[in-house]
Amino acid sequence: MSGDIRLEELTKIYGDVLAVDAIDLHIPPGEFFTMLGPSGCGKTSTLRLIAGFERPDGGAVILDGLDFLRTPPHKRNVNTVFQSYALFPHRTVEQNVAFGLRYKRVGGDEARRRVADAMELVRLGGMADRRPGQLSGGQQQRVALARALVLEPPVLLLDEPLGALDARLRVDLQVELKRIQEQLAVTFVYVTHDQDEALTMSDRVAVMREGRIEQCATPQELYEEPATAFVANFLGAANLIPVASQPGVRGTELALGSFRLRCEAEGAPHGEAVAMIRPEYVRLEPHGAEGENRLPGMVEEVVYLGFHQDVRVRLATGALVRADVPNDGEAPEYQQGDAVAVHLRARNLRVLAGDGERAVQDAQAAAAPEPAGTA
Amino acid sequence: MSATSVPAAAAKKERVSLRERLSNPWGRPRFLAITTWVYIAWSLIPVLLAIRFAFNSGRSRTSLQGWSLRWFWQDPTLSVFHDPTLRSALEQSLKLAGLAMLIATPLGVGLALGLQRWRGRGSGTANRLTLLPLVTPELVFAVGLFLLFTTAFSFIGLGTTAQVIGHVTFSVSFVVVIVRGRLQTIGGDIEEAAADLGAPPWEVVRRVLLPLLLPAIAASLLIVFALSIDDFVVSQYLASGADTTTVPMRIYAQARAAPTPALNALATLMLAATLLALVLAYAVFRVLTRGERGGRSALGQLASLEATIDAGGTK
Repeated sequence: MSGDIRLEELTKIYGDVLAVDAIDLHIPPGEFFTMLGPSGCGKTSTLRLIAGFERPDGGAVILDGLDFLRTPPHKRNVNTVFQSYALFPHRTVEQNVAFGLRYKRVGGDEARRRVADAMELVRLGGMADRRPGQLSGGQQQRVALARALVLEPPVLLLDEPLGALDARLRVDLQVELKRIQEQLAVTFVYVTHDQDEALTMSDRVAVMREGRIEQCATPQELYEEPATAFVANFLGAANLIPVASQPGVRGTELALGSFRLRCEAEGAPHGEAVAMIRPEYVRLEPHGAEGENRLPGMVEEVVYLGFHQDVRVRLATGALVRADVPNDGEAPEYQQGDAVAVHLRARNLRVLAGDGERAVQDAQAAAAPEPAGTA
Repeated sequence: MSATSVPAAAAKKERVSLRERLSNPWGRPRFLAITTWVYIAWSLIPVLLAIRFAFNSGRSRTSLQGWSLRWFWQDPTLSVFHDPTLRSALEQSLKLAGLAMLIATPLGVGLALGLQRWRGRGSGTANRLTLLPLVTPELVFAVGLFLLFTTAFSFIGLGTTAQVIGHVTFSVSFVVVIVRGRLQTIGGDIEEAAADLGAPPWEVVRRVLLPLLLPAIAASLLIVFALSIDDFVVSQYLASGADTTTVPMRIYAQARAAPTPALNALATLMLAATLLALVLAYAVFRVLTRGERGGRSALGQLASLEATIDAGGTK
């Protein structure tokens, strides 16, 4: 099976900016692989290097064992779907889809059959004679997809293909993209800054930052076991609490002022560290509740968010912990000023290396708003 | 209730004072409309009068003497068609405009493509320098060319060749502006997409870029034609004698000697040719960009096209 991509120390420099910083990566055939990160993290540059639109300043792109370095884009066996769709406005939908077949030496009935199949695959039946200008954004993106897939590439590169669509349509097309990818078993390399897209569709996600891969894992692993505060904050929300970490009796012992917390994870970093827990794993209990990993605090703010409430609790140590309390239809249990006990369950606690200050900076970097329409 | 209140309101509307009507912020902008029409009349009446006298049956250019086509071709000696000086001027003008159009357009398209792609040291400066002829006073430009052809390039010398080179030189900038505007609306993604689908560089140009540039190329051809046929200063400076006299030069010279309505006829023909070129440029552009994304990008392109026509008109 073809579609195996290997990046070796791939490097790209623009002026004095290191856009892609010696990336090593292996994407096995048939994987839905996503590069996720804020704008300027190098994800699009990496994709353009694979497509051949840019020349690397170092390293190699290897497809199915062949080095691509000296191959111009039109001879590379990969195809790209652009954020802007990049359809040919002077050609009909059918002509757009058929464009690349001529260079594959496919003509006549065979070409017609493949074009029809590709249009069927992306559910564009009956649109053959329209011009791109007469289609909606979602339909245009389907044409772009069909135009690339008709060539049966072993690898499809997608550069924020849903970025220009509205939220509802995005969700529909996410499902469809995943269906097409599974049906064709093509390797998808997908670039996005949208964590929902990454989590919904991907087999594996590489979270990128400043030209490097911060962590590369399955969506579940990224969410449950983030390696850094940046990853923890880029995917979902996270409570980050500076602690001192040392090996404990069962797992790891964390010191938070005069309080002690137990974390089940073995082999967590020791010394100065950051404890991480997702807001939905934080349990709020009545003031004075006994047991391990319970810390006293006071409710500082309650934000009503419909299906859940965001309860912000100031711990006695000064740290702020956010707890997601699901809305079960009962009257709100907690109000501003209530004294509570915060239960940080040992099996949900994670320990990240690094000092608290660095973690806060990382968290802010991850939370920085993405400028619309750029990547 | 509402049935009675509506006529009441209508009746009330009748009694609005003139003062209120004039200062009504929701009313139509009458003053602006009047100003616009006065301006249009002011600028068109002289042109229309000149055209009217081209069809005068008498010799006068000031008093109306009935209608005829005498000054176009009926008069056996003095009409544009039969007067050798007027006829050769018309031929020279058309020759220059045709040559300038065919040389400046490919040159400008190439230049625009080059400037679009060239990134790096000097590209910004080159970009701005290309537009310099648009703002250079034509007289300065013409004097410069005159010196060039009489000294450094004296092997070319003055005459038709020099005139064509002069016209091409100043009109290339317009082509660059038009084509670059179009390239910007096309965007770089489309070329990358074509290459990505397997098209080698020449095929990208042939199957994608040129078809998309066609409207801009057509517009450029016709605008260069209009610019060249209108030109007086450059043609005048680079002329070498009677056989290189263009229509504007002939009109200028004869208006001071023994003018007949044949001059008006000549000017009318020029006006018709220029207008035809511009209308064609506009129409061809509209037709070729039809169906592109609800016409929005075509409109943006038209705006730049119209701006260029305006610049040409004031040159």
